[in-house]
This record gives sequence, C-alpha cells and structure tokens, in this order.
Amino acid sequence: MEKKMFRQYLVLVLPGFIIFTIGLIIPMFMAVRYSFTSWDGMTAEKPFVGIQNYLNLFKDADFRSAWWFTIKFTIGNTIIQNIAALLFAVALDSGIKAQKLYRTAFFIPCLISAVIVGFVWLKMFSNVLPELNGILGTDINFMLFGSGNTVLAGLLTANNWQWIGYWMLIYLAGLQSIPSDLYEAAKVDGAGAIKRFFNITIPMLAPSITICVVGITTGSLKVYDLLVSSTKGGPGRASTSIIYQTYTTAINGRQYGYGSAMSVTLVFVLFLVALVQVKGLKKKEVQA
Amino acid sequence: MSGKKKNKKDNDIVAQPYTKTTFLTQIVMSVFALLFVAPLFIIINYSFKTKKELYLSSPLSLPQSLNFDNYIKAFQKLNMGTTFVNTLLYTAVSVVILAVLCGTTAWAIARGKQKFFKFCYIYFIIGILIPYQALFLPIYIIGFNLHLTNTQFGIIFMYVATGVSFGVFLMNSFMSTVPLELEESARIDGCSVFRTYFSIVLPLLKPAMATLIIMQAFQIWNDYLLASLYVSKKQLKTLTVAIQSLFSAQVSDYTTAMAAIVISVLPIAILFICLQKYFIKGMTVGAVKG
Repeated sequence: MEKKMFRQYLVLVLPGFIIFTIGLIIPMFMAVRYSFTSWDGMTAEKPFVGIQNYLNLFKDADFRSAWWFTIKFTIGNTIIQNIAALLFAVALDSGIKAQKLYRTAFFIPCLISAVIVGFVWLKMFSNVLPELNGILGTDINFMLFGSGNTVLAGLLTANNWQWIGYWMLIYLAGLQSIPSDLYEAAKVDGAGAIKRFFNITIPMLAPSITICVVGITTGSLKVYDLLVSSTKGGPGRASTSIIYQTYTTAINGRQYGYGSAMSVTLVFVLFLVALVQVKGLKKKEVQA
Repeated sequence: MSGKKKNKKDNDIVAQPYTKTTFLTQIVMSVFALLFVAPLFIIINYSFKTKKELYLSSPLSLPQSLNFDNYIKAFQKLNMGTTFVNTLLYTAVSVVILAVLCGTTAWAIARGKQKFFKFCYIYFIIGILIPYQALFLPIYIIGFNLHLTNTQFGIIFMYVATGVSFGVFLMNSFMSTVPLELEESARIDGCSVFRTYFSIVLPLLKPAMATLIIMQAFQIWNDYLLASLYVSKKQLKTLTVAIQSLFSAQVSDYTTAMAAIVISVLPIAILFICLQKYFIKGMTVGAVKG
C-alpha cells in the first residue's frame, strides 16, 4: 500500500521535476562548465582554460563598469521604491476618500511590459517634457537619457514609475493586517503619530519590508528589458547592466565562455544577496 | 488574515474622522496620482495624432480629431493577426500546464512521507533563488541542442520550466488549507491518489489556482527576454518582441508605436479591471518572487 502510494505520488512529482531540471538546473551547471572554457558558441570544441575567464573579469574595465551601474541602479531603486511605496501605502490607509481609485492609478504602470516602459520614458524625456520648458518659461534639462551623468536618474524615474504601485500594494496589505487595538492602546498612552509610526507600524510591517527589500534588490540586479528599448546601455556604456553586458559579450561578441563566467558571477551574487537579506531581515522580524 | 478581522478594520476606516491632515494627504496623493497617470494619457493622446500634428503641434495638445490610422498601421506593422494569437496561445497553454503541474507536484510533495519528497521541496525552493534571466545563455544553448528553439513547444516548455518552482512554492503554502480527513476518507472509499487529487483537493485549491494563473499569465504576456531568445521565425513571434522591433524602426514617427502600446496593454488592462480582486491578492501573495 505504502509502496503503491509512493509510486503514484512520484508520478505526480516527476513531470514538474524533469521540466524544471532540464530548463533551469542543467543550464546552471552548463554555465559553470562553459565559464571554464574559451568557447565561441559556434565551433564543436570547447577549449578548457581553467579560471582564466574569471581572472580576466577582474581586469575587465567594461565588466566593472557594468557592475558599478547595476549596483547604483539597485541601491537607488531599493531606497526610493521602499520609502515611496511605504509612504503611499500609509497615506492611502489614513482614511482618505476613494482609496481604490488611487490604488488603481499607482498600480497600472506595473501591468506594462518593461520594454514598453523604457520606450515611453525615452519619448517622455526627449519629446514631451522639454515642451514644458516652453510652457513654463523654464530651462530644465529633461533629456536625462542623453548624458552619462543623468541616465541613471532617468532610468530610476522609469523603473520607479513602473514598480512603486506594486510594492505599495504589499505594504497596504501589511498595514491592513495590523490590529487596530495596538494603535488605540498607544494613543491612550499618549504616543503621537510619528512615535506610533516608528514603534508600531514599522515593526509590525517587518514581514512586508523583507518581501519588498528582497524583491526590489533582486529585481533591479536583473535589469535588462528596460534598457533594450530606452538607452541600449548608453550613452557610451553609462547604463550597461550586467545582463546587458553578458548579452553583448556572448551573443554579439561570440565569447560564450567569457559571457558564461559573467552569468555565473551574477547568479552567485543574486543568490548571496537573497540569502543574506532574508536571514538578516528575518532576524529583525523576530526581535520585533 | 481572517475575514472578520478585515471587516473590523474596514469599519475602523469608516469611523476615522476626516481631519485637516486627511484632507492635506488627499491633495498630496491626488497630485502624485495625476503624475503617475500622466504618461498613460500622453500615450493615448499621441496614438490618435497624425504625423503632421506630431511635428507641428505641441506634444501636450489634444489631436484635432480621433483618427484610427495609427492603430491600423500598428496592427499591420506588428503583424497583429499572428503575434497576438501567438502571445495568447503561449500564455494560455503555459499557464494551464503550470496550474496542473504545480498543483499536483506541490500536493504530492506535501503528502508523500518519503525523504525524496522532502528533497524535492528544497530542490524547488532553490529554483526560486536562481534567476533564469542570468542564465539566458545556457538556456538558449540547451534549447538549441534539444531542438526547442523556434518551436511553439520550446517556448512553452521554457515558460513552464522557469515558472514551476515559484508555482510549487505558492501551492505548497496553500496545502495546509486542505483538510487531511477529507482525503483520508476518500482513500478509505477506495479512491486512487489521482482521483483524490482531482475530486477532493483541486476544488479546494481554486483560490490559490486563481492567484497562480493571474501571476504567471501577466508575467508571460509581458516577457521579452525568453521570447526574443527562443523565437526568431516571423510566424512564431510574440507581441512584446514585435513591439520592440517596431520601436527600433519607428524612432521618429512614434505615433504608430504609441498606438501599438495601447493595443498591447489593453488586453492586460481589461483583465486587470475585471479580476482586480484576484489580481491584487495574487500580486500580494506572489510578491516573494520579485
């Protein structure tokens, strides 16, 4: 009986197990294997070069600048998106009228594909917003994608426009699950609004904060779609993210082995970041 | 979150007095909301403008008349007849397969007592932490070697493979809502494992299924990376990929591109408006994926 059930459960698990293994797990090992070769992606032989690719990565200025951009983009997003989403959620939860209308307005951009978001902001910065200067009589530089110094700000604008509403929803759900007795008790004790926010809201929101911080960081580290239709990694290399750099190296530059080494570093970093954040933030949750 | 608690909280909101601060908050949030919707209005506005209006009138002025030329042009340029059906087909089939697979897998993992099933749980969880975006290169190579690239089967296979770990995780977290007694009595009545799942467990998992389906449908519909890697044949292309080529081709005359954006966003926006409740629940639960 036990054996028969084991077999039947096995039949249920195996299809998913196999598809998952072929589609994701094996590619991960392939990436590691290729990263030790100088394969060009075309020829049959894949010459083994040991850790040469990884050593080259350290000396590669393009690779370093791609990481530097990715890190700046990630930190910017994590800070802006978390704070804005939390403040928006608190504002929407404070008893204002037509809450659902606001919720929809903030949420809709995240339904749009990142490729489209990139293009929309490309046009916003280059064609639509400069027109405001004429109307307002000001001289603000809206061409954020035009210069290496402002391209990060432009991409942060586009990305935050897309995602703030999404994380706001998570915070909103978190806020609505905080028992209101806590606030009443604090009020009776004479705690002001700001004190209540930092002593009740923030600690009680710890699980939501974990979700948002991990989600935003890992999502930003993987940025690619947004760049394809907006900056194409430019101007120069100012907005080349690590995935974008891997793509150009491997597909356009025909350096599959070297590109794989880049992929491996990203997988490793993402894994590490997720693990450290979940662990670190979970600890705070327990203390709270 | 129990329904009771939520109701109570709703009542509290109603009972909250509408003070000066609330009024100020309302105004500030209205400004932000307008800023957020402004780009959407600009897209729609542009999509009705003629090429002449694009160069002569201000970008912020309204079009003189509602002309649908851009839409017709976008329809042709995107090869909508094909790309729309392709995207719909890939999304629908992948999502159905994911719903069936993730449900059965998660249930078997939750109920199987052998060590193998415990291992499977960890195996799938690790998958959530592996970003397929970072592995696009070997994903392309394995697809090429197995003759999966440029086939409908191949792209659907990849959508399932990259979505399954999250789906299993999501369904697994809902398994505790299925009472064991029901399953046991079904088994005593002689139901096989399969029948128990489909007649007892599956109906109870409906809300979780709705969440899973919405989450994945939305993601697959908007996917660019996998579709651009796996499909290069014209008759297999997806909407997002077609839109991206349109963007590169129509840099100056972007009124067509704007119409194309409206066309591609509309289905998902309508879906959102109809299923808002499930959607929001799905997004909140599914947040872990990021």
